[in-house]
Amino acid sequence: MTPVIQLQNIHKSYGATLVLKGIDLSVSPGQIVGYIGPNGAGKSTTIKILIGMLPDFDGEARVLGMDVKTQSLDIKRRIGYVPENAALYDTLTPMEYLQFIGQLYELDPTHIDRKALDLLRLFQLNDYANARMTTFSKGMRQKVLLISGLLHNPDVIFLDEPLSGLDANAVVLVKEIIRQLAGSGKTIFYSSHIMEVVEKISDRIIIINQGQIVADGTFAELQHQRPESLEQLFAQLTGSDGQTGVAEEFIHTLNN
Amino acid sequence: MTTLILWLLDRIQPLFRALGADYGQLRAIVQVKLMMDNRRNIVSLGRYGKPSAENNNSFMRILLIYTIVGGVISLGMLAIPPQKSLFLPLTLQFSYIMALCAMTLISDFSSVILDSSDNQIILPRPVGNRTLWLARVVHITSYLFGIALSLSVGGILIVGYRFGPLAGLMFLALSLLSAVLMVFLTNLFYLVLMRFINEEKLREVINYFQILMAVLFYGGYQLLPRLISSQGSISRIIDHQWWHYLIPPMWMAATVDLFIKPVLDVHHLVFAILALLMPVAGLWFMNRFLTTDFTQKLSGIDSESRPEATTSSAQQPQSGQASWLEQLSTWVTTEPLERAAFAFTWRVTGRDRKFKLKTYPQLGFGLAYVVAMSFQGGSLGSSGFFYLFALYFAGLYVMVAQYQLGISDNYKASWIYGSAPIQAPGDVLVGALKALILKLLLPFYVILASYILYRYGLDKISDVLLAFSNSLVMLISSALLSTRYMPFSVAPDALKQNNTARGLLTSLILAVIGFSHYGLTFIPYGVWVATPLSMGIFFLLLQHYKKTAWSAIEMG
Repeated sequence: MTPVIQLQNIHKSYGATLVLKGIDLSVSPGQIVGYIGPNGAGKSTTIKILIGMLPDFDGEARVLGMDVKTQSLDIKRRIGYVPENAALYDTLTPMEYLQFIGQLYELDPTHIDRKALDLLRLFQLNDYANARMTTFSKGMRQKVLLISGLLHNPDVIFLDEPLSGLDANAVVLVKEIIRQLAGSGKTIFYSSHIMEVVEKISDRIIIINQGQIVADGTFAELQHQRPESLEQLFAQLTGSDGQTGVAEEFIHTLNN
Repeated sequence: MTTLILWLLDRIQPLFRALGADYGQLRAIVQVKLMMDNRRNIVSLGRYGKPSAENNNSFMRILLIYTIVGGVISLGMLAIPPQKSLFLPLTLQFSYIMALCAMTLISDFSSVILDSSDNQIILPRPVGNRTLWLARVVHITSYLFGIALSLSVGGILIVGYRFGPLAGLMFLALSLLSAVLMVFLTNLFYLVLMRFINEEKLREVINYFQILMAVLFYGGYQLLPRLISSQGSISRIIDHQWWHYLIPPMWMAATVDLFIKPVLDVHHLVFAILALLMPVAGLWFMNRFLTTDFTQKLSGIDSESRPEATTSSAQQPQSGQASWLEQLSTWVTTEPLERAAFAFTWRVTGRDRKFKLKTYPQLGFGLAYVVAMSFQGGSLGSSGFFYLFALYFAGLYVMVAQYQLGISDNYKASWIYGSAPIQAPGDVLVGALKALILKLLLPFYVILASYILYRYGLDKISDVLLAFSNSLVMLISSALLSTRYMPFSVAPDALKQNNTARGLLTSLILAVIGFSHYGLTFIPYGVWVATPLSMGIFFLLLQHYKKTAWSAIEMG
């Protein structure tokens, strides 16, 4: 089977600082890939390269068999992206926003209307479909953002912290949606800081640290390396072992 | 207005397709942008962004003012001179239009041009660089066309009436082309900046450019009509020099001139070709070569503003600065809380770009205005009264800074005032005000005073001191009279425009104090006696301000 995502020896630097130092990666269809790493490890940069937002990198990146550097528009048409920091035009209403996004994908307006309304209803936002998003909570925005990333029924979905701000019920719902999307043959590539979630829903976990992949495999495979939780493995691999000691010192400093 | 713009866009659809954009997407982006402009209290549009209901009322009001101002100027310049000598007045007309367009672009629309919020929302979608870039240009140009049109509508009517509809139409077309040309030049300007300056510095540099431009243009506003009236001979026929071909307003003027006279010589023809060709060529050039670069650079802006670890070497000057600031704050403040607010305000006013952008141009303009006025040979500038007028007039501009002190984009961080056990909020207010006085008012007055002393003689020192002290009194009075906000605690668009009345009152009081001061200059040693008195009042009021209780403070 041809891989859906393929990265070969990706290097990317901002000015003088090297952010990605040779990422090699290949993902087959229907996989849920959890992409984790500490802050500033290069997670978002990798995702931005994959969705064609950062064309100036070294190495080869292919999504759905297409070259990211030359065919980014064709790729963008078939992928969905949900950014992390709830970036949306919040002076619009959800319907207006989704209508706008749909137009960017050149979808049929009446079709978008119906679909968007249905999706909003499923997320229990139908009462707010025509209210401006300035007053929305982070969870409500995140729901709109998720819909806007999935509206055009993409084949590959990139999610950056997809569960942030959602309440417990919505988390369960979104996790189930992710699972069923993968079940129907779509590929999910997402990054998160919440280890429990990554542990539970990922078919495959990739840990990066300082621009390099330090672990890659199913959770079961990774457990061979270190049999406790993913959290501990993560701490060990990203060089932040011994947090208990740091916490003790923290308390000690507070008391002074 | 949105509907009108979209209707116009629909009419010229083929143009966008020819330029390589996806029209459906372009229309969607422009529509959403205009819709959002109407809704939010357009902070990004600077002066135009006053709170308004579901419409562009404030922008319309600005346009109306421009129409009137433009009409009056056109009437003065274009109605009288004979057919033969309209070239220079026309040049001035177009200079005016171009200058205002450029000013608007740089000071009010730079945040639109350099808007990186699109990055997260539009760039991941299948939208081509060219489409996105053209959508931006259309969005901005629709505002610029409004400005250019309202400025020139008077001129168009006059020229059309005097020299026939063809000349009027030409004037109209060239006004719009002027706006396009300015879009091109501004884009080019930003791109050149982006090429030579790294992204982190870019916004900083643009900020200073904005401040500088604002000062220059505010000054230009004042100077231009004066220059014209003093010259008196604007209707003379000027000889063509080679460098005239480098001045865009002359291209436009000559093209209109060509239809007015009508005349067809080499000069006019070259000018006309330049006028018609350059904006189009500029658009084509931008579309062809600059778009990819621009969007790429833009998407870089976000990601490259990574935090820089301040390690050993970088920390050295930082701590040095901190220590002298601390030293200064211990001299001028009494309470620890006041000291904290002083240092806090000092730092934020030095770093918050929005604050700088809102206050520095005002101060710069205050200075520019005073200098410009003093050089004007006429009545006011040379009277013995003028330097006093200048001193007090300048005081008005500092009030703006005081008003800005409550505003911040990071207003949400003001929860800290609520959660911290602050007993005397007056300490915070006074600390912030002191920082403002030392950081802005004092240097401003020093510059102003040096100029006044240099120009009007050293013996005016007593007047400068009294005026300074009186300005302090005014500043504190205005702080006492207006709604009190904690420093940087209010959203930029939350402050309603009810300060017009207050501003009027303040200037009235300022005038009264100024005249009293003028009266004092006739009494021997009057000014010297009044100064300590005024200082006394200032400190009394400051004590009063310091006693501000929580109940008197409005949280944003």
